[in-house]
Amino acid sequence: MDPQVAASARGPAHAAPLLACEGLKKTFNAGQASARPALDGLDLAVDRGDFIVVIGSNGAGKSTLLNTIAGAIEPDTGTLTLDGRDITRLPAHRRAGMIARVFQDPMIGTAAAMTIEENLALAERRGKGHGFAFNLNAANRRRYRELLAGLELGMENRLSTPVAQLSGGQRQALSLVMASLSKPALLLLDEHTAALDPRTADLVMAMTRRLVAEQALTTLMVTHNMRQAIETGNRLIMMDAGRVRDDIHGAEKSSLTPADLARKFKIENDRMLLES
Amino acid sequence: MDLIHAFLNLVPVTLSQSLIYSFIALGIMIPFRLLSFPDLTSEGAFPLGGCVCAAFLLAGYTPLLATVAGALTGVAAGAATALIHLRFRINPLLSGILVFTGLYSVNMRVLGRSNVALFSTDNIFARINPDILTNVGLQIVTFAIILGAVFLVLRWYLMTQSGTAMRVIGINPELAPSLGINPWAYTVAGLGIASGLTALGGALIVQLQGYADVGMGTGILINGLASLVIGETLTGRRTVLRQLLAPVVGAVVYYQLLSLALSLGLQPSDLKIATAALVLVTLGLPFLRERGALRETMRA
Ligand SMILES: Nc1ncnc2c1ncn2[C@@H]1O[C@H](COP(=O)(O)OP(=O)(O)OP(=O)(O)O)[C@@H](O)[C@H]1O
Ligand SMILES: [Mg+2]
Repeated sequence: MDPQVAASARGPAHAAPLLACEGLKKTFNAGQASARPALDGLDLAVDRGDFIVVIGSNGAGKSTLLNTIAGAIEPDTGTLTLDGRDITRLPAHRRAGMIARVFQDPMIGTAAAMTIEENLALAERRGKGHGFAFNLNAANRRRYRELLAGLELGMENRLSTPVAQLSGGQRQALSLVMASLSKPALLLLDEHTAALDPRTADLVMAMTRRLVAEQALTTLMVTHNMRQAIETGNRLIMMDAGRVRDDIHGAEKSSLTPADLARKFKIENDRMLLES
Repeated sequence: MDLIHAFLNLVPVTLSQSLIYSFIALGIMIPFRLLSFPDLTSEGAFPLGGCVCAAFLLAGYTPLLATVAGALTGVAAGAATALIHLRFRINPLLSGILVFTGLYSVNMRVLGRSNVALFSTDNIFARINPDILTNVGLQIVTFAIILGAVFLVLRWYLMTQSGTAMRVIGINPELAPSLGINPWAYTVAGLGIASGLTALGGALIVQLQGYADVGMGTGILINGLASLVIGETLTGRRTVLRQLLAPVVGAVVYYQLLSLALSLGLQPSDLKIATAALVLVTLGLPFLRERGALRETMRA
């Protein structure tokens, strides 16, 4: 679809994207002979309500992009604008109220030595500041119990269990709940099911779709799983060598087949070979 | 028999002192356990609190002000270690060494000479009750109340949103920013509070003993660490309350052990290696046991 048509189809009310990445560049170990840009002048506009699947080969820069958006990595040049505000130099902890994330490693997304309820209470204060009220009280405990019961993960009766005792899948599910608890403007998922067995990965993926749909969360999800890439989201971008090479949305995305995707991937690979 | 008698006679005095050393053990537990930051500042913060307090007393300030001033300079020392680590990415151990090395000169300047007697100055304990300095029973009650108050404040703080956020820094530093937790602020505050407690211990001990000495910090760190690990073997670390109790329980037990060793004829200078060995064994045993268990399962 012509991008201009796509933009007007979304209507003038949404003319300004929620997140605009403009000319993002990032080179690790700059100055060394081997240094290759991880982000190479990347442009991306994310509209409100977008559920974007990000694919691309290893080293394409997907994680670097998400880390840059979250503020864990500072870009060398380029700007990030979130909801009309320049956040390029804003430290990660000050973006957390607007941007939530789930990591690939189940160990990183939760505080293992703390209990489920302690983790949830911390996550609920994301962006609101952590003050001198008690972290846990009868009211929020009750709320978390109901919340977890609705997810049917068997965690609602284990609120005071340390997260260290949960399985990887339960941890990722909890991580996801924590990320969505404070209604972020933007949700970042970086291969958040990659460390799980296929069945658990499907469960977490189903939960992801449900949470994103229920809360209408604007989401960027990195995956290497082509089935997930086809079945999920309203938009798919393919990254290569630190840039967006392909942006598939609208009807083209919803009718995308594995064969289409494989063909596109092959073209990308051929182009990469030609360029290198 | 006489030896045991000598030891038993010392039990109350040792208990009284160990209650003050509990502040130092608490000040070591906070960075080591809650922030996962091996902070050596206490080696300098303890004499700093003592020397600043002594200087204020000698200058005629009220004991309360002198004590608070001592504690606050400790806060500054802890914050300095944190900032050196954060700003210049210097290893935590080295950051602490830089600070306590520098503090030696500061303490010398503050005190004017290497040690001063405080028998003729006013004293916070004399202000509370003139008999405290001579009545060990009264000392124990007073120190227990002060320690109890500090303990309750820490207990309360660690249950708040802010206190829980601070613990995340130690448990999962990568997660902290994504939860909106400012790593710098909490590291500076945590190390500041910790060294503040250690310096408070220094300020109290000089007033109890009636003299201050720039060398009074030597070995305080390893004593505090020994207290902490002994306490942890007794209380465990499963909950925040247990983790908080460990340094207090540990200090009380450790200083009795020291006193016992002395009454059995060990030289004070021999106690250093005994303490180092004790810390090594308490920290090393669980590791060896774990490896033993691993070997068992491999064999099975
Ligand atoms: N912290 C870092 N230090 C040095 N180089 C890095 C760092 N992080 C990423 N890189 C490099 O940047 C490039 C992009 O890495 P990135 O992790 O963004 O890729 P990716 O698309 O997420 O790959 P994957 O699919 O394997 O996760 C790679 O060449 C990688 O080696
Ligand atoms: Mg990656």
